[in-house]
Amino acid sequence: MENAKTPNPILDPLKFRAAVFDNIGSEDAGFSNYSYWRSTLRTFFRNKMVLLLVALVLALIVMSLVYPLVSDVDPNKVSLMPLEWNLRPSAEHWFGTDALGRDIWTRAWYGVRNSFALAFCIALSDVGIGMIAGALWGYNKKLDPFMIELYNIMTNIPSTVYLVLLAYIMNTSYLTLFISMASRGWIVEARFFRNRILSLRDNEYNIASKCLGTPVWRIATRNIIPHIISLIIMEAALCIPYSIGSEVFMGFVGVGMPVEAITLGNIVNQGRASFTLHPYQMLLPTIILCIITVAFYVIGNKFADASDPRNHV
Amino acid sequence: MEHNHNGHASPLILSARDVEVRFNLRGRTLTAVRGASLDLYEGETLAIVGESGCGKSVFTKSFIGMLDKNGAVTGGKILYRGEDLTAYKTEAEWLRVRGKKIAMVFQDPMTSLNPVRTIGEQITEVITWHFGTEHEEAKREAIEILKRVGIADAQTRYKQYPNEFSGGMRQRVVIATAIACRPEILICDEPTTALDVTVQAQILRLIKDLQKELKMTVVYITHDLGVVANVADWVGVMYAGQIIEYGTVHEIFKEPVHPYTRALLQSLPQLGVRGHALYSIQGTPPSLFKEIRGDAFAPRNPDAMEIEFEQEPPQFEVSPTHWAKTWLLHPYAQDHRRALEEAEAQRRAERAEPTQPFVYETAEKLLEVKGLTVKFKLGGREFRAVNDVSFDIYKGETLSLVGESGSGKTTIGRAVMRVYNSNVSGEILYQGQPIVGKISKDKMKALRMEMQMIFQDPMASLNERAKVDYIISEGLYNYHLFENEADRLRKVEEIMQEVGLSKDFSSRFPHEFSGGQRQRIGIARSLVMNPNFIVADEPISALDVSIRAQVINLLNKLKRERGLTYLFIAHDLSVVRFISDRIAVINKGRIVELATCDELFDRPLHPYTRALLSAVPYPDPDRERDKELLVYDPAMHNYRDNPPQWTEIVPGHFILANQEELDIYRKELEG
Repeated sequence: MENAKTPNPILDPLKFRAAVFDNIGSEDAGFSNYSYWRSTLRTFFRNKMVLLLVALVLALIVMSLVYPLVSDVDPNKVSLMPLEWNLRPSAEHWFGTDALGRDIWTRAWYGVRNSFALAFCIALSDVGIGMIAGALWGYNKKLDPFMIELYNIMTNIPSTVYLVLLAYIMNTSYLTLFISMASRGWIVEARFFRNRILSLRDNEYNIASKCLGTPVWRIATRNIIPHIISLIIMEAALCIPYSIGSEVFMGFVGVGMPVEAITLGNIVNQGRASFTLHPYQMLLPTIILCIITVAFYVIGNKFADASDPRNHV
Repeated sequence: MEHNHNGHASPLILSARDVEVRFNLRGRTLTAVRGASLDLYEGETLAIVGESGCGKSVFTKSFIGMLDKNGAVTGGKILYRGEDLTAYKTEAEWLRVRGKKIAMVFQDPMTSLNPVRTIGEQITEVITWHFGTEHEEAKREAIEILKRVGIADAQTRYKQYPNEFSGGMRQRVVIATAIACRPEILICDEPTTALDVTVQAQILRLIKDLQKELKMTVVYITHDLGVVANVADWVGVMYAGQIIEYGTVHEIFKEPVHPYTRALLQSLPQLGVRGHALYSIQGTPPSLFKEIRGDAFAPRNPDAMEIEFEQEPPQFEVSPTHWAKTWLLHPYAQDHRRALEEAEAQRRAERAEPTQPFVYETAEKLLEVKGLTVKFKLGGREFRAVNDVSFDIYKGETLSLVGESGSGKTTIGRAVMRVYNSNVSGEILYQGQPIVGKISKDKMKALRMEMQMIFQDPMASLNERAKVDYIISEGLYNYHLFENEADRLRKVEEIMQEVGLSKDFSSRFPHEFSGGQRQRIGIARSLVMNPNFIVADEPISALDVSIRAQVINLLNKLKRERGLTYLFIAHDLSVVRFISDRIAVINKGRIVELATCDELFDRPLHPYTRALLSAVPYPDPDRERDKELLVYDPAMHNYRDNPPQWTEIVPGHFILANQEELDIYRKELEG
């Protein structure tokens, strides 16, 4: 070449003899310290908004758990004096009182706690049952026609009609609400997991396990679930705002929780009733509701993005 | 510029000088290209050879500004007709060059084509976009180009979507879009890696013809030295982000000087002698996250000199057309070089004695397959992936099953391993016992411990979320083949040692290993069951050239030491020759020919076998230049009136043919 670099003038001729070959050293080079979970979390939390929303949701949950324990205000304390009804926000009642003189600030935190508890239960049962059903469905071809029909029937009935009908038949209570929502939610999750499992099932590493004679339960726990755990988390996160939304909606239609139960749905509804005269009553519960819904949707979706290894840059 | 252009007949068109490309990846800096230099001359063909991850794609992508968002050229110059491309900032500037002057063809045609638009529209768009041609005019031109790349019935094909084309046809369309603007330089990034060998040969020929016609400069990026020998005038060998040797194709193949180039050529199974261990390159390529000192290849070179660990070698000129970056060419290294040559000569001399062929007369049958048929349902229609296949495997031999993608070779292997349930018919006997259909649990356990499988893709065949320790012990857990925890650990350690892995690796996850190491983990996983029979499903086709020899040697060593029998599934006839005793060629679910290795290569009878043999690229430029390409057309058989039979035409040589054809083949064998 025309411009071969001039060799370094001070070269030691002794350096030009055979070096000792290091067998281990030659092997240890292509090693990368990529870790799936570390990269997922890093990608997830790199987004400032996600960080903010996670902090906000955590604060909400902690507040709703701690507040009922430390506060001595009874959320059900009805005042008989009309003077204490529909009070405007003040130092004593931060967000005022409702039509029966109950403190809205206190009620809101009890409501968040109860609604969250209900939503968590529903998310747990939807994703839990859905995952087991989805695994069976994915692994058993014979179930396919039956499950697909069941899925079609259950999802083609509008959810509102179904929820209203069930809640109407049974007496309104936490259990009723749970049953009416949980009896339907699992099949959507089941189908989602079935599709995921189908795509994982015939991967080479699962065929390898099959050739080694690994029983199905161990293939499920060691080979499948670790690969879809991030999806499970995401689905559960997305389930929560949906459950809370449904609960509020049921309250709105009038088949929600009994009036004495303190849930976000009931508080929003009661606020709505007196909205034209006392709009501030709806303020706090609506804000909290909005935060929860938006935050969980964003968190769930961002987590799904972050759990995709293609985004781990 | 000099008069003879450094041995090149035409003027310089593009010159890359000390190009450095860096990527930011998960908070760390990866130097993918570390000062690579390259010259391209008009009308010539350059091949850049290298393993995956050595930066060859990135290097050429930097010529057209197509680096990923997190990467950038951080040093050096890329001069295209005197203009420095590294100074380009905006897309508008790049668009003057990209596609118009320098075009690129990628490995997977489906990623370059838009699936929801007709291929005609896509080519027309390129023409109107770059030249502002009117639509009707551009359409006429597109049809011309389609005809030019060998697509019959271009008028109708123009209106079709990419999914209506086969893999080879799609690649032709991609080439058509690339040449639509008459580029001066065409960069082909592994253009045929995803294709079958027979299609590959056709595509390579097409590119060659187009090059001559359009007077293009063509750059091939490939890891396949057979392809290089076929197409290239010039070769640049790339390792760890640098071009380490550059010369004419004959110089590189016949007189390589860099230790890496030499090792690469020596480790090719095509050039090995059966029965002897292949020369294998130790270790794995270096991580480009780390700073590399001295010669990047030194840690893997058993004959390295001390200076190679300390200082980066400059370019030394071997001949006016050939240079290499290695300290071996320094005058001080003369003694060392002489010692190496002597050692090499001694190795050659030792290698001369011939090996014993496998004796079939006294061998016992281990596996018998009779009339095996595997059916799949696809979109409501049933089709036979494997159709009435019969063969025997003798104890201690290696039978290779060779065929193109979709021929059913993997399906046969999996049917033998009982991966499928109800869709298998026919008979498979292992040691005389039937193993198709329902069998008892005890028998199943015995069978699992007798037969194991090695998989193709080391990336997909290991559970990413389990530690190596669990992966290797999986079989032990399943049948509780250990007395206590200490016994299990001892077994895992033993097996890891046997496949050449350090026992410290057992607490790592698969993603921490390179392809070759992962494949060895997969082999350890099946060996831990202590099997006698192994189905090896393309165990080397997903590996880099430098790693292949390691795995082939390991498989051969295990065969010798443990007396294993292999069913070896492959798509590359030339690789298989080195390891197999007998070869079966399979086409569209039927075995068309089966014979001993030498018999098949010396006297191939079936036209499909012949086409396959003629298409396989061989890493020798002399041989590749004047080879004749045969094309197999199934329509040549008259099977409707005269169905074919599976016949033993001479002892040990089976063929699928009808009576008429048999007569012709017999005559050929006699004559």
